[in-house]
Amino acid sequence: MQNPSAVLVSRFVAEVALATVTAAIGAVVTLGALEFGTGWGDGGPQPGYFPFYIGVIVMLASGATLVEAILNREQHRATPFLRREQAMRILAFFGPMAGFVVLAAVLGLYVALIVYLTATMMVQGRYRLWRALAVSVGSAITFYLIFEVWFRVPLLKGPLEALLKIH
Amino acid sequence: MDNFGNLLDGFRIAASGYHVAIMMAGVLLGILVGVLPGLGAPNGVSLLLPLTFTMDPVAAIILLTSMYWGALFGGSTTSILFNIPGEPSSVATTFDGYPMARDGRATNALTLAFLSAGTGALFGVVVITGLSGWVTQFALKFSSPEYFAVYLLVFASFVGMGNTSPFKTVVSMTLGFAVATIGVDTISGNVRLTFGIPDLVKGISFLVAVIGLFGLGELLQTMEEGLRFEGIHARISPREVFRTALTLPRHWVTLLRSALVGCWMGITPGGPTAASFMSYGLAKRFSRRKEGFGKGEPDGVVAPETADHAAGTCAILPMLALGIPGSATAAVMMGGLMIWGLTPGPMLFIERPDFVWSTIASMYLGNVIAVVLVLATVPMFAAILRIPFSIIGPMIVVVCFVGAYTVSGARLDLWFALLFGIVGYLLKKLDYPIAPMVLAMILGDKMEDAFRQSMLMAKGSMGVFYSNPLVGTITTLALLLLLWPLVSRLLRAAQSRPAGKTG
Amino acid sequence: MKKATLTVALLATAVFAGSAQAAWVPDKPVEFIVTAGAGGGTDTFARTVQSIIVKYKLMDAPIVVLNKGGGSGSEGFIYGSSSPNDPYKVTFGTNNEYLLPLVAKMGFSADGLQPVAAMALDEFLLWVNDKSPHKDAKSFIAAAKKPEGLKIGGSQSKDTDQTLTSMITAATGAKFTYIPFKSGGEAAVQLAGGHIDANLNNPSENLGQWKASMVRPLCIFSTERMAPGAKVTKDMGWSDIPTCKESGIPISSYQMPRTIWLPAGAPADAAAYYAGVLARVRQTPEWKTYIERTSQTDSFMSGDGLKFYINQDKAKALEVFKAEKWTVQ
Repeated sequence: MQNPSAVLVSRFVAEVALATVTAAIGAVVTLGALEFGTGWGDGGPQPGYFPFYIGVIVMLASGATLVEAILNREQHRATPFLRREQAMRILAFFGPMAGFVVLAAVLGLYVALIVYLTATMMVQGRYRLWRALAVSVGSAITFYLIFEVWFRVPLLKGPLEALLKIH
Repeated sequence: MDNFGNLLDGFRIAASGYHVAIMMAGVLLGILVGVLPGLGAPNGVSLLLPLTFTMDPVAAIILLTSMYWGALFGGSTTSILFNIPGEPSSVATTFDGYPMARDGRATNALTLAFLSAGTGALFGVVVITGLSGWVTQFALKFSSPEYFAVYLLVFASFVGMGNTSPFKTVVSMTLGFAVATIGVDTISGNVRLTFGIPDLVKGISFLVAVIGLFGLGELLQTMEEGLRFEGIHARISPREVFRTALTLPRHWVTLLRSALVGCWMGITPGGPTAASFMSYGLAKRFSRRKEGFGKGEPDGVVAPETADHAAGTCAILPMLALGIPGSATAAVMMGGLMIWGLTPGPMLFIERPDFVWSTIASMYLGNVIAVVLVLATVPMFAAILRIPFSIIGPMIVVVCFVGAYTVSGARLDLWFALLFGIVGYLLKKLDYPIAPMVLAMILGDKMEDAFRQSMLMAKGSMGVFYSNPLVGTITTLALLLLLWPLVSRLLRAAQSRPAGKTG
Repeated sequence: MKKATLTVALLATAVFAGSAQAAWVPDKPVEFIVTAGAGGGTDTFARTVQSIIVKYKLMDAPIVVLNKGGGSGSEGFIYGSSSPNDPYKVTFGTNNEYLLPLVAKMGFSADGLQPVAAMALDEFLLWVNDKSPHKDAKSFIAAAKKPEGLKIGGSQSKDTDQTLTSMITAATGAKFTYIPFKSGGEAAVQLAGGHIDANLNNPSENLGQWKASMVRPLCIFSTERMAPGAKVTKDMGWSDIPTCKESGIPISSYQMPRTIWLPAGAPADAAAYYAGVLARVRQTPEWKTYIERTSQTDSFMSGDGLKFYINQDKAKALEVFKAEKWTVQ
């Protein structure tokens, strides 16, 4: 295996990448604002005025951040942003989390949280299946009681609930 | 003025066994909704509304207001222990509350938060009791230019030059503003920046953003460092609580300033969230331990909590007396008032003094009960922290996403929460300040509305911000605060030029 | 015209009341979607209906009320029409369901929902600050004809208030600057504080301020005066307010229906069921109290009568929208 403290991304790369992304967002905002008047009418600013200039300022400030990063490149290149071991830890946590969101969007929050909690408990906490299931199903029921029964706030439900006629 | 006599009558009604029982029930339910992000005080109160249809209005308003106090207190608990603000107004509490908890001072942070919140609330009720006549007159003077000036003041007091790059502050803030402009524009009715996505028409709720930026972003950071929440072993011992309570008087300057800020923002009404941000900003600015802020400075917990609760209580007054709800929760309660057959407005004080004054009396009692009850629940939350991280970590993730979903019941918000989680992680790692972004999201559209309404009123003349002494004073104050860091920096630079320090 | 709709409405009620025990009955929680924030007119409407249904047990299934007022209410309409056949999503609104999509790209289509019933007509009045020099509508209009014009505040942009403002301008030649606020409540407070010259609020939105003699009504946009009742202030009650037509603004009637909708594809039986429940809601004393307290006009429409009313209302509004160039596409 490679050295766990090997630097995957340097601070310089991260700075430049993020500034580029924010500049792009600024551009999108500016373009989106063009749909409406961006001037100053006799009743004050038109609907597109603020979004337009906000977009422009985002781009300018991102540009300045980019220049700052380039000016400090020596120092930034030497500073690690992400090491291999950190990346592994982040992925181990973020991966299941993103999976949870995908699952929730398709199957609803209840199913997703049972799967997610069971899986993370078993893989990361090395719990047995029955304990993991007990905790995750238990929390699903708790959520159901608090949100749906007591406070009457419906949570996202999927096809499974429809099949079981749980409302 | 025999406010005091009226208040005594109010106490006679509010202090009955039935009403006290209702207060306790309300506070406990409130703590529950306050703790869960997404399920906030406005939700909680509107969900209890149907229950109150068959109740006497006095009992009904006591139930709803008590729930509000409970929710305000509960919101601080999760802010401090998990860095997830349970309520929008407790966002600012995370800045120093969470670092304190991480350093193993969870008990101190929670005790300080609850006690200063209680102090703020009591201060607010006293103001309401003493000044109800004058305050309503004052609130009527507020129109769009004054609102704009107040929002500007909030911004000016919060956004100073930090020790990071000023450009990064600007990027963060303007991105927040950009998010705030998404959706329907109040002034023109146009739908802006939705790029044809129907779910964006309602805008992106800053609550979803906050859950992602703070809750999930923080988790990612914690994971990366492999820390696993080791710092937080909150064992709540009564002695520790008592010892912290004794330190409270030391913060009297912050307490007083924050209570004043809170009352002002609750009445005008800028709202509790703006109040807590402004108060935090001012506390930091006037502190001798500026560097400590954001790293676990007790004043950074006292300030937002005091202002938040002072504003929350004060917001009830304009709601009753003028029909101006000073906060989202007050708006829901106002709807309740109308369903119970009461018309909020100046006449309510004359037509139903029993209702008004027992409400005010119940605010004294309710807040005291809330402080006691919320302190009693702390060991329970501390116990949660002792659960192994492989269970509690994913559980927090689930709570965050459930919270993001319940904000407005939109599937798309799950994705936004995830996105903002990544954004929060990246911004924090690259030293972009996140707070200005959140503040811009909260105030952005209100500020724009107020500005454009002012322009419509004044036919496009900027002079409107100096058109009367009130707005002129606030505007000047805001500009002074805005420029102060620049001025003081220049002064310092001039003094210490020989040292050759680069900024 | 009003009489005709009323007759149609009554007929429709009779028909639906007969078929109230139709085949379809909800067997899981029903969502009441409020297309406005908490505390506003639509919210009070929906929650009053809910409270009556709960009190008289008019429905066995529980009710969940959801406030979705984002984007001028479009959030609620988008949500309400998101599952096209679902009879468990009942959306509460005003005429904004069919008028909003005309003036902005709101992300929902008016055809995505079918009308179930309209339960009340809210009135519009011309209000001024109590200290205003204008004693009647005539002098108010005369003042607004001066070059600098007058400021009218209202709720939202290109919604009922601004449409009415534009109609007054077209009818009288008076000049107004319309200032949009987030809600009628805000416009009421701004008027009480003397920051705007007038507003066009519904009775309930200004009642508190009127009682306290901070604002006063000049005229009501209705064909006839309101029914006599108790005095609101020392010397005036609702029935003392002249109609705008008799005081020189030639707009005979302007009202806003409080409407209830189902997704377009929901079965007709379900629509009939809800119409039946709502018809019974209307017969309770609590409903009468609600109508009186909010000074609305009691009226119940459903079925074809309602469709007819909606088409007419839409056509009237469209004229104004076209003249103001507000229409999209």
